[in-house]
Amino acid sequence: MSHAEHHIVPIKTLTAVILTLGMLTILTVAASQMDLGSFNVPVAMCIAGIKASLVIAIFMGLRYDNGTNALILAIGLVLAFVFLVFVLLDTNFRGDTSATQSGTIMETEQLAPAQTR
Amino acid sequence: MAQDETINYLNHDRSLKSWLLTKDHKRIGLMYLGAVSLAFLAGGILALLIRLELLTPGETIMGPDAYNQSFTIHAVLMVFVVLIPAIPAALGNFFLPLQLGARDVAFPRLNLFSFYLYLTGAVIVLSALIVGRIDGGWTFYAPYSERVGDSILFVTTGVFVMGFSSILTGLNFIVTVHKMRTPGLTWNRLPLFVWSIYSTAIVQVLATPVIGITMVLLFLERFLSIGIFDPALGGDPVLFQHFFWFYSHPAVYIMILPAFGIISELIGTFSRHRVSGYTFVALSSVAIAFLGFLVWGHHMFVSGQSAVSSVVFSLLTYLIGIPTGVKVLNWVTTMYRGSISFKTPMIYALIFLFTFSIGGFSGVMVGVLGIDIHLHDTYFIVAHFHYVMMGGTVIAMLGGIHYWWPKMTGRMYNETLGKIAAILVFIGFNLTFFPQFIMGSRGMPRRYYDYLPEFQFMHELSTYGSWILGAALFMILGYMMASLINGKKAPSNPWGALTLEWTHAAALPHPHNFLATPIVVRGPYDYHLAREMFELVPSGDGQHGEVIPGVEASEPDGRPEEA
Amino acid sequence: MTSHSAEGHPAHLEHHFVSSEQQFDAAKMGMWLFLVTEILLFSGMFVTYTVFRSWHPEVFAHSAELLDWRMGGINTIVLLASSFTVALAVHFAQKDNMRLVIINLMVTLVFAFLFLVIKYFEYTGKFAHGVFPGAAFDPHGVAGGHNYADYNIPYAAQFFSIYFVMTGIHAFHVIVGIGVIAWITLRVSRGEFSSAYYTPVELTGLYWHLVDIIWIFLFPLLYLI
Repeated sequence: MSHAEHHIVPIKTLTAVILTLGMLTILTVAASQMDLGSFNVPVAMCIAGIKASLVIAIFMGLRYDNGTNALILAIGLVLAFVFLVFVLLDTNFRGDTSATQSGTIMETEQLAPAQTR
Repeated sequence: MAQDETINYLNHDRSLKSWLLTKDHKRIGLMYLGAVSLAFLAGGILALLIRLELLTPGETIMGPDAYNQSFTIHAVLMVFVVLIPAIPAALGNFFLPLQLGARDVAFPRLNLFSFYLYLTGAVIVLSALIVGRIDGGWTFYAPYSERVGDSILFVTTGVFVMGFSSILTGLNFIVTVHKMRTPGLTWNRLPLFVWSIYSTAIVQVLATPVIGITMVLLFLERFLSIGIFDPALGGDPVLFQHFFWFYSHPAVYIMILPAFGIISELIGTFSRHRVSGYTFVALSSVAIAFLGFLVWGHHMFVSGQSAVSSVVFSLLTYLIGIPTGVKVLNWVTTMYRGSISFKTPMIYALIFLFTFSIGGFSGVMVGVLGIDIHLHDTYFIVAHFHYVMMGGTVIAMLGGIHYWWPKMTGRMYNETLGKIAAILVFIGFNLTFFPQFIMGSRGMPRRYYDYLPEFQFMHELSTYGSWILGAALFMILGYMMASLINGKKAPSNPWGALTLEWTHAAALPHPHNFLATPIVVRGPYDYHLAREMFELVPSGDGQHGEVIPGVEASEPDGRPEEA
Repeated sequence: MTSHSAEGHPAHLEHHFVSSEQQFDAAKMGMWLFLVTEILLFSGMFVTYTVFRSWHPEVFAHSAELLDWRMGGINTIVLLASSFTVALAVHFAQKDNMRLVIINLMVTLVFAFLFLVIKYFEYTGKFAHGVFPGAAFDPHGVAGGHNYADYNIPYAAQFFSIYFVMTGIHAFHVIVGIGVIAWITLRVSRGEFSSAYYTPVELTGLYWHLVDIIWIFLFPLLYLI
């Protein structure tokens, strides 16, 4: 049953990670003070994503862990993403039926009255 | 091998405390079975009352208010207290570790905790009955649920608590399947019941948290008016429906996937034939589990959600038909050239094939955008989900209970009565629900207290059917209870099945399941292999000292030395 | 590989497991599954945030000005640091240095409290100016160069409701974490763990890192953009 020994993450690595995380925090604050236009949100989310990945890979040791746990996390994230995307598919396209069709059904049918008979 | 064969999980300690504080998955499973059966009884009696009320237009036995409350409580009980825990928590708890050759689930204490969470949640839900009226159905759509009486709080709290129970059970089972398999039990040798419980557990873990946060938001909305769902406050009620169905649609698969597993076991065992397309049947469960997350919007075609999402959800809904069709096809081909014995459980499996197929096909129908707009909120929907939930899950559950009854209780039930009851269930069920398809397609709306006189004939048929169905279910309860008192003693493997709970555990399993760690060298349905591979098992275990072909025993204590 | 292997039945090994390794792997996998349920729980709130933000982007951008990025930033650093000390605690548990495990867990507790204290000042600062979640939302007064009355616009109440709900549920997780870490610290000090068996320390660490990760996303979403 027993396989690889538990990986011990060296203090040097842990320290490097926390310093990077601190720097990225400063970076994200700095980026938010600048006006990047439509890039504000993606930049902030990218930095947050990098920070979260560092915590997961090194602090939580997923990099050294067996693949099943990584798969579990990946499935969870995919599902959360599916939730978000499918809800947005509704909320950001509400009322699209009225946008594609101007006028009432009566009016649109009058445009082609012969075909229905 | 010196352990006393007469010791089993029921008699090794008979005190009440040993039951209430047990960490034994078998006892927890039995307690779940008891609790679920009680709730099913309560929900079933309500169903009979509802049907009786609908026998004639206008008031028959109760007023409209009592009617609204009855169908709401019936639905809440059946969905959250019965169907969701029914197969996984009761039969799954009992048989998953046994089929894995494990001594228990991975986290036995968590298992007990989850049982008490379930009981707590169920009691909170039931207390709503005492506190006041709940109506408006089991979906608690906002904003209505934010404005009605306080008893809705009890129901939502109860659902929240039972959700945690469901999550913990699922989590436990996933880890158990991954980490507790006995040597030789590779993934492609897992019984199909294990595969289906495993897929169910994935859904439980991934979907249930969302109903948790939905209930929290509903609470906050009610008490603080945070304005997320209530349009009067600037919120969006359709958003609530998204949240609700992100859980509640996958929850449908929490109910039906374990039923698939039972049917696979039954058809394999009673056809004495390898389940054809094993890999496809196994993986289709996982496929359904994941596809089930992509289709929730088909409950919301008329809610005002965007047309583009309706179209996408409708298309994705069709996909569910593929893995489900794969299963039904393989079950049928398993029987082809099998040696079928029509024992009671097998009769339930055949009923399942019939009723579930109707439920499934009507499901594809209402997944079609255009048709659903016509059929939405009619009796057609009521008939559809009863064919899936009752004709699928409950029928499979009944089959499973009959199949495993000897292993759980050590007694055989009366086979003749069993067959009669099964046939009565079939007749009663179809008579109850098939007329509802017809009524629904003609425009009879669901949840209505009153109806036009032209629907009366169909409603009458449906009510008569419910009486047959009810009588058959009470008959089952009767002979099952009788078998506990005067039933024949069951042998350890009455059906000649090949999974570990039959071949390696005593008639009544030992408290630690197995006296020796089973070692698996073949698939779960390898009936085509040499007969001696399974028929030389005397009392279903290597406990008499001889090494059984294909089945080896490790050390007596079963704990191999640590590496 | 483990120091107790020669004894055969270490005290921490439960009867239904075959080996310590199996027990450890099972526990860790269970924890990861639990963390995934937490992610999906929070995903509900992130979805709510995204939906309302995409409906009312200008209201959200305007309302976010009222949140002090300095306090949020300090809290980010505090939580990151606490994550670091928990990682150190696990590191020292693996090296069997229990004294340093206790010290690191204690420092983690201090950071966690500090986070809550800062959060408390943020909340009370908002309450003082009538910034409440939901119907009680009634901003007034002047503070930090902001005239709060300017923020009484439609859907600003939604922004602050979402802010309070998200950070509130996160804070609830911090409080639970404090309880768990305190309990684990006590168990370490009672000598219950060694490099051969430190599963609860590791699992607590995993939980705490997740609390940190949630905040890593909450901070830019609520305070910065």
